[in-house]
Amino acid sequence: MLFAATNIPYPGWLNPGDNTWQLVAATLVGLMSLPGLAVLYGGLVRKKFIVNTMLMCFAGFALTLVVWMLWGYNMAFGTFSHFGPTGSFFAGFIGHFKPLASAFAEQGQAVSGANTLIPFHFPTATLAYFQFVFAAITPLLFLGGLVGRLKFKAWLLIVPLWITMVYCVDAALLWGGGFFAQKGAVDFSGGYVIHLSAGCAAFVGAAIVGPRRWQDRENAFPSNLMMVAVGIGIIWLGWNGFNGGDPFYAGSDAAAAVLNTNVATAVGLLTWMFMDMLFTKQKKATFLGALNGMLCGLVAITPSAGWVDGTGAILVGLIATVLVWVAWNYLSKIRPFSKVDDALGVVYTHGCAGLIGGLLVGFLADPGMIEYGVPGKVYDAAGSFSVSGWFYSHSFHQLWEQFLAAAWIICWTSAITALIFYFVKVTVGLRESDADLAIGDVAIHEEEAFPEPTFGEPVLTPSHTHSDNN
Amino acid sequence: MKLISAVIKPFKLDEIKVAVREVGVTGMTVSQVRGFGRTGGHIEIYRGKEYEFDFVDKLQVEIVVTDELVDRVVDAVASAARTDTVGDGMVWVTDIEHVVRIRTGERGPSAV
Repeated sequence: MLFAATNIPYPGWLNPGDNTWQLVAATLVGLMSLPGLAVLYGGLVRKKFIVNTMLMCFAGFALTLVVWMLWGYNMAFGTFSHFGPTGSFFAGFIGHFKPLASAFAEQGQAVSGANTLIPFHFPTATLAYFQFVFAAITPLLFLGGLVGRLKFKAWLLIVPLWITMVYCVDAALLWGGGFFAQKGAVDFSGGYVIHLSAGCAAFVGAAIVGPRRWQDRENAFPSNLMMVAVGIGIIWLGWNGFNGGDPFYAGSDAAAAVLNTNVATAVGLLTWMFMDMLFTKQKKATFLGALNGMLCGLVAITPSAGWVDGTGAILVGLIATVLVWVAWNYLSKIRPFSKVDDALGVVYTHGCAGLIGGLLVGFLADPGMIEYGVPGKVYDAAGSFSVSGWFYSHSFHQLWEQFLAAAWIICWTSAITALIFYFVKVTVGLRESDADLAIGDVAIHEEEAFPEPTFGEPVLTPSHTHSDNN
Repeated sequence: MKLISAVIKPFKLDEIKVAVREVGVTGMTVSQVRGFGRTGGHIEIYRGKEYEFDFVDKLQVEIVVTDELVDRVVDAVASAARTDTVGDGMVWVTDIEHVVRIRTGERGPSAV
């Protein structure tokens, strides 16, 4: 009779719809990294660096999860370590350095400093996994600026240091209920915490690691455009989880965020393609150009996906892609951009697009887009949560908050990334040797992406004995 | 016995196969090769950067024939491969010292 009251085997605060969507969304975001980014980057680099690039993606993902369980989650989303008086910057700076390991820590109801409006209806394990896949994709994104010369051992050191000192701090300040969150800066799914930050890290990192060999820059043929299509396709549709998961409820704002994300992406893709057809010397549409535009749309809508309406989403895709296209084609010829070998252009498609998208929140956010309604009352009654940009509020308040948060992300990420890279430079070194770089995967890993077999059957008996050979 | 070699435009392969069969050739070997001649290369654009491809994709055809067949096969290959544009390729003939048919052990012209 103990279980007669209910035959549902989970706690009353848990909502199966919310929990299911959150786990599905997290898995979609995870697929953006593996295999999404791994095969996208593998397809974009020279054939001789495919294995190296893909292994860095897989190893980075794994390293981030271990860091996340041991201390990362609690530093970014746990209760704050109060380094200063309540309300001050250092009171809302970073959480405690402690693992997420006990049964209660995983199965108990998720709480974080950010969800002051309504409680989460899923356990901490769900929130921690969802937040992990966001953390994991960030170093993989800035890896795009460093491929083709970064030392493999350096990467194994950079990822845990960067997650701890850069990502956890930025996430706590904007998403964990920290200082900028309290001030009113908003970032729907990571235009700042992920994309602007990855763009800065790629640029600063590439400057410190130094350029690829000139031979590799001159012959930077992508190895396989079909794999690029597979990777980027998973990334587009995976973004449904990226932005659709960030209301943390399987509600109407999740649906709106998914639709807005896709329309901004479509507009971005078409904008870049038409600009290539109209304004480049060759006047030709290119596949890789269209994909750049697609990424601009995805990244730029990320800070605002559930807070702009359909018109806003189209404008975000259009404005961001036009600006990034201009940056890609012209800013890249001006110092310091012309002097830094950001191999896959992360500073443009992620850094610039993330910044533009974050600032556009301050103009285009529609207060009619209710992220959190008021239960039991009129859905959009007082107490509901939405964001209002200049076009609706005629106030620059939101834009100013967005600007301050962006300035922080740029300064903190760049400074700490530089610190980490210089530390790694003097400890394990940042570059593979030029002799190894000339050969690539075979020298670095003794593997290659497409091994050419010799077709003959072996003739000599194997030197080792194996029961199959008797 | 002669070895007839030809470097041709890839899309001409089937026409050459049909033409040399008609004059009595029983076998040929094809390899994918790249080369430059008077054609010059072409341009490809990746991520806004232009790359010049100097070496053009070609096929190399090799046919072993008896002395009496040489002229007819060379003519068949040359006329089948012609498009009257730059880059049609080249046919050349070399002497063969000796031939062995591996399965039967036949030697000389009867092995061809």
